Amino acid sequence: MKKYMKKSEIWTFGIGLFGVALMTGWMPDYTATFFADFAFKGKGFDSDVMANMISLVFLVAGIVGAVCELVIGYLVDNTRTKFGKVKPWVGFGVVPLAIVAMLVFVAPNTNSQTAAIIWMFVIYSLYTAFSCAVESPANCFGSLCSPNPSERSSAISIASFLRSVGQSGGMVVVLVVGLVMKAVMGEQQYRNAEGRGLDLVISTAVCALGLILFTMIFFTNNKENVPYTQEKVNLKDAIRVVFTYKNLLMVSLTKLCGFGRGVYGTVSLYIAIYLLGSKDLKLALLLPMGIGTAVGTLLVNLVLKKFSTKQTFILFCVYGASSMGILFLVSRGIGFNDGLIIPFLILNFFCGLQHGNTNVTPNIMIADCVDEIEYKTGKRQDGLAYAGYGLFSKVASAFTKGLGPWLLYTWSGYMVSTDANIAYAAQTDATLNKLLMIYTIIPAVFVILQGVPILFYDMVGEKKEMITKALEERRAAANLSASADAENA
Amino acid sequence: MDKKEKGFNLKLYAAAAFFAVLAALVLITVFTFKTKYTAYHPEEVARNYVDTVVQTGDGYNAYKNALISKSQKYGDFIRTYYMNPVIYRDTAYKPGDDIKDCGYKGFNDESYMGEKSKNDDGSLQGQVIDTMYDYYVKLVTDGWDDYDTIFTKYFAKLVEVRKEVFGDDYMTDEIMFTALEGNVLKYGQSLTGTEDEFDKNTGNQTSFKSIGAYQKAYGEDYKFTTAVKTEKNMDLAAYKAALPTEKLTTYGVQADDISAVKCYTVTVSTEDGKTVTETDVVVAQIKNSWYADNTATDTSALYGFYK
Repeated sequence: MKKYMKKSEIWTFGIGLFGVALMTGWMPDYTATFFADFAFKGKGFDSDVMANMISLVFLVAGIVGAVCELVIGYLVDNTRTKFGKVKPWVGFGVVPLAIVAMLVFVAPNTNSQTAAIIWMFVIYSLYTAFSCAVESPANCFGSLCSPNPSERSSAISIASFLRSVGQSGGMVVVLVVGLVMKAVMGEQQYRNAEGRGLDLVISTAVCALGLILFTMIFFTNNKENVPYTQEKVNLKDAIRVVFTYKNLLMVSLTKLCGFGRGVYGTVSLYIAIYLLGSKDLKLALLLPMGIGTAVGTLLVNLVLKKFSTKQTFILFCVYGASSMGILFLVSRGIGFNDGLIIPFLILNFFCGLQHGNTNVTPNIMIADCVDEIEYKTGKRQDGLAYAGYGLFSKVASAFTKGLGPWLLYTWSGYMVSTDANIAYAAQTDATLNKLLMIYTIIPAVFVILQGVPILFYDMVGEKKEMITKALEERRAAANLSASADAENA
Repeated sequence: MDKKEKGFNLKLYAAAAFFAVLAALVLITVFTFKTKYTAYHPEEVARNYVDTVVQTGDGYNAYKNALISKSQKYGDFIRTYYMNPVIYRDTAYKPGDDIKDCGYKGFNDESYMGEKSKNDDGSLQGQVIDTMYDYYVKLVTDGWDDYDTIFTKYFAKLVEVRKEVFGDDYMTDEIMFTALEGNVLKYGQSLTGTEDEFDKNTGNQTSFKSIGAYQKAYGEDYKFTTAVKTEKNMDLAAYKAALPTEKLTTYGVQADDISAVKCYTVTVSTEDGKTVTETDVVVAQIKNSWYADNTATDTSALYGFYK
């Protein structure tokens, strides 16, 4: 089949997603840390009220994101420009996104707790809306980069890999920024600056710059090769598509049922500080997991050659929960000391393998579902399917972002530092144990739950083969008809 | 599609967007850094130095913004000059030695741990900290300006007290920091008072309300405000000539590094505007940053003024 993309386009698509992930992958964790530990340090605000409000900020912002997902999906499908329908959102949206992301880390100098809370709600909801306006269309570009399914799959898998690398890129940035600041300012002055969250401010600026640089490379080099149709899209259709078709609904429900599997991200910084002994180990903590995810992506492709998407998904869910259970037991067995670092990091790699599954398999399933919908209705509705799936993702993400900080700042009994020169306060053993549970056992339960809807998924085996064949025949017939019309004309 | 894209230069837009965002990010970062990082503002360094001392009687942590912490982490300075000489007292340790390279065996070696050290659940360590507290209070009666005496005497006493409680010579920097910082915290609470606190999970009371010395003197809802009153002229050459060079060497600072010096009178007032005490703070500039000169600043007026 004809190739539509230049080789460089396949890579610059990935580079674009890398840039977006560099910013969006960094923001939630560090925003939570910034709001809790640095933004209003020394202002004397009620810490219990602030902890509860931070949970609510993430919950509300997540819901804002869910609504935006659908609205942006709707607007993208109705965008008609000379650049295509997705590219303008990415290319022009990154400028305000970079600025707003930076402003999240510039807290107002106020003594009013109410004003501080309002600012947190407004700025983070604004960031969520802008990130949605860029990230969702950027992810959607995969379905428009080429009409050739094989070429499209290659581009999507390379981009997915680079996106997952980008999600950990922020950790590298904060480490490098810390080293540079230490070299320039001296050890103690760096500590003083860190105590005011200034390393986070500079790291965000670097990530924002990366966002704009890498996205512009994508923006100037990539083209949409699937022409858009002139049909106007109805907002109701977006909701109907995801709720009418069982298989698409089941894939979407995996997000909702497994919403708590991402809470480990909320505590990863604290695991590095309190259980492993250094903030800098957050990179060491996430790097094995990131490598595990990359290896997992390759592993999933191998497993998919032997098993169906349904079997692969369930297999990886069982494996993922088991690996996190083992990490919990080993950590409790060794205790929170230097001896834990190496086993923890090794097991972290094995825990990361499962994420390859959640990165790849649902995307393949959605593509199969779009085929099924086309087979049943005669219409190919990639954009709406993506928006519907994205809606569930955002709702799940809102729950994750609400649950994570609640578990950390309320349930675990985490104590924030009130000393302007000390970044992180000492914690009790009970709190440390709960931090470990948030990183292992609690996500493990949600990993099992996310596999449940897939038990009802049936776009596999003979049914899938039959639909693929029928669609091929239908498209061949349509091409013949179009050719005949052209000749007659 | 190519033809349609004519009329809008994508590359030009990309370059313009990149540089516009770069400029905005630099402006925001510089603004935030200048606002939050006090070391660029000499007045704020002086005020902050007094504020840290006076709010909780904490001359110990105030040094984190002083010349003493210019070139190294404050904790590392304490380790090098005051903790390691105690831990490695039976070796040829000299400040600056790399302990790993020299292969010194100090009292932090686990072979010095007795049964009580191995089995302590924290209660014996708590007993040590409580016993040390009265000694700490005596040491800081006139403040923290003579840190050399405070660190030296405190850690020597800690060795004695710990041996009485645990019956062994085991000693680590962590034990030393825990005891000292525990005493610094308790001393602060004796001034400010404490509130009732309850464990979030069990509901058990973890601390009880107490009335601090400041509250007794100025009322339970007292609030101290610190402000720079005046700036005094200082002669840079005379200031540099009078600097204690030996002390500065331990800070990794030379007189020639200092490019400017200022002196501010900082007042401490209650909410009704009444000044309760004041002191002169000397601040020195090295490159772009300002540091409180702890060798030339007398903070004794910030301790005991409430009596």
